[in-house]
Amino acid sequence: MESRRRLVRLGSILAVPVLWFVASRFGLIAGLPTPVEVADAYVAELYRDDFWISTIRSTIRVLASFVVAAAVAVPLGLLIGRYTIFADLTFPALEMLRPIPPIAWIPFTILVLPAAELSIMFITFLGAFFPILLNTIQGARGVEVEYPRAAQSLGANSYQTFRHVIFPGALPAIHAGMIVGMGLAWVNLIAAEMVAGGTGLGFLTWSAYTSGSYPTIIVGVITIGLLGAISSALVRLLGDWQIGWTEPRPN
Amino acid sequence: MSTTTIERIQRRFEGGTVPILTKRVRQLLSIVLFLGLWSALVRFGVLGFDTFVGPETTLAALLEALSGTAMTEGGETIYEHAAFSAFRVLVAVTIAVLVAIPLGLTIGTSRRWEDALFPALEVFRPVPPVAWVPIALLLLPTFRSGVIFVVFVGAFFPILVNTIEGVKTVEAEYVQAAASLGAGSRDIFRHVIVPATLPSIITGVSLGVGLAWITVVAAEMIAGGVGIGYIIFQAYRLLQTEVIAVGMIAIGFLGYISAAAVHRTGHYLTRWQETN
Amino acid sequence: MSKHDAPTDDSPTAEPTPDTTGKTGAISLDNLNKTYDPEGEHVVAVEDMDLDVAAEEFVALLGPSGCGKSTVLECIAGYLEPTEGEVVVDGTPVTNPDPKRGVVFQENRLFPWKTIKENVEFGPRMHEGVEEGRAESILDEMGLDGFEDAYPSELSGGMQQRAELARLLANDPAIMLMDEPFSALDALTKEIMQKKLLEVWERDNRTVLFITHDVEEAILLADRVAIMTARPGQIKDVIDVDIDRPRDPEVVTTDRFTELRERALSVIREEAERALEQEDGA
Repeated sequence: MESRRRLVRLGSILAVPVLWFVASRFGLIAGLPTPVEVADAYVAELYRDDFWISTIRSTIRVLASFVVAAAVAVPLGLLIGRYTIFADLTFPALEMLRPIPPIAWIPFTILVLPAAELSIMFITFLGAFFPILLNTIQGARGVEVEYPRAAQSLGANSYQTFRHVIFPGALPAIHAGMIVGMGLAWVNLIAAEMVAGGTGLGFLTWSAYTSGSYPTIIVGVITIGLLGAISSALVRLLGDWQIGWTEPRPN
Repeated sequence: MSTTTIERIQRRFEGGTVPILTKRVRQLLSIVLFLGLWSALVRFGVLGFDTFVGPETTLAALLEALSGTAMTEGGETIYEHAAFSAFRVLVAVTIAVLVAIPLGLTIGTSRRWEDALFPALEVFRPVPPVAWVPIALLLLPTFRSGVIFVVFVGAFFPILVNTIEGVKTVEAEYVQAAASLGAGSRDIFRHVIVPATLPSIITGVSLGVGLAWITVVAAEMIAGGVGIGYIIFQAYRLLQTEVIAVGMIAIGFLGYISAAAVHRTGHYLTRWQETN
Repeated sequence: MSKHDAPTDDSPTAEPTPDTTGKTGAISLDNLNKTYDPEGEHVVAVEDMDLDVAAEEFVALLGPSGCGKSTVLECIAGYLEPTEGEVVVDGTPVTNPDPKRGVVFQENRLFPWKTIKENVEFGPRMHEGVEEGRAESILDEMGLDGFEDAYPSELSGGMQQRAELARLLANDPAIMLMDEPFSALDALTKEIMQKKLLEVWERDNRTVLFITHDVEEAILLADRVAIMTARPGQIKDVIDVDIDRPRDPEVVTTDRFTELRERALSVIREEAERALEQEDGA
């Protein structure tokens, strides 16, 4: 990309804090803290243990829940994608639960699960689970039938076919599902933390609101956004690195 | 059982020649098993399930709510609460559609506009819509507008991103063919780019609606007021566990029909597409 | 759907001599029937088909498109179960895919996520264990020396087909089932591949069932050419190709070749018209 375009794009990004500064300084949006106030609050937060604890807490929650969601959704999705009986027996029940937004599960989980921590992680898990599941199913179904047949004619049994053919064949779709899933995991984590309270970046942001320290709200929001962007980018990069092969060139 | 036997049974099922367990029956069995599992978990108090409700009580409560019983002190029925939530989603998604689609089309077709606008938008995209709630409550004059703003943000980005991608993947050959047939750039835009982008836009709207529902429930739970999200949370506070379940079912149902509505409309608008 | 006449019996359908030599890879299609019922239709793909392929024979299966040739191959490979009748290989009925019946598909089916070498070693890795250097020597023989660590997407169409052949050979199957493997290749590459296939076959003595719609290819390669009717598929005629081996590509200009080609074409023309009618009428 030529340097001129790069400059324009940089300018676009820089326009955000500039417009923000203008809007807050001249009172165009009532109540908006100025960038300077937020910067001050940010620095102050970095010195507070609570900020770091919250950040680490939220990050660990997301990562752990995401990993569990992937560990459950991928095998399940592959099985549903390839074995019709299994699909018929499990998928309808899952489809009934899917439209319920994960956050609506919060009161249910608080009542049923022993610890509040588990509730939050379950909601986050749900957020990642369904996108990964759906994309995995689609990926498994998308593997053309000749590939498993080729494997069988070369002597592979069911398990080997699954491991060496279906799973790699579905990987691009699984990867796409994971990118979406990571994003939704963050969305639901923050919502759960705001509702269920306790600790975490979501809670920190919400209590900044209730306690009236408005610049801290924005500190929280920025941190959440940053971490969300980084985690999604990590998932994307990890996938791109692992799935280096591309689709076969048409003859 | 050896794997070959399993595979043979598999193939028999795939061929659809099994007498008793047809596909429909299996699917029904799935739901029956699920309800049975739920019931058993409650009855045997697994984890904290004994503080929750079973399917039978839920059904009773659902019927009661559907018959028009008041769900909150204000006397509103489930229909009114559902309408509140649905209204918010509808308004927010409509605004999102009206803003994101033209914006996406512009950014997708013009490199200059892309350079000027897209990076700035990308700065805001990673922020989960719900995280905007405190800011929205702080800055916007009314509570209602705050919630709608947050839901708007939720729906906006999926629609925008999918529209942009849709424009970019319009194959150059279609544009070239139109140009060779004498179409000017405005015509190309209207008759080639917009229809070709439509499938991606529909996907974006579908995702946007889904995210809108998630956001509206969250916003209502956090900020209170009216709506299904509010009902669920209030029921939790008052320990009306059957109402919690009813609320969950209600919102699941609403999410489902809105997704179906988007799909229907989408299918109709893109009926020229090949089906897999 | 019009039902055609029963295959004529007075054309010389050379039968292979009964096998008593202990060679493996004899295929026998016994009253093979395969029907599909997709979405309320009733499609008879293959009906009452009988065919015998002797061990180590090279038989070409020729026919118009849609006549069910691929279905026949899928039944022999073990992917599909016959609706009626059976496929018998060396005295045992076929129920499952097996490495002894190797398959080459029409569209290249090298695993895109594995390197060429990993593809070639796949079969042995799954059940016997990989022999050091074997993959390299087979790839070398196929002219793919140096591409062991490449991914299929990096190879041209002809090279991909060669690699798929290498993968098949590495598994040492007694039977090779090939479904129009060269139809997507350009003329020059096709000629090279045909030569290579004959080389390999003559050296290794495997049974080959080769599906094609190219009459010249069939006569060039095969010992016998079985011609299928339009759907529902049956064997209409079997032509004995009595041209000496080894066969150069120049053999297509000889008189005998031309005779056989004309004979095959006349049979096929009828069936091709019938197949076209089916598509219009259906």
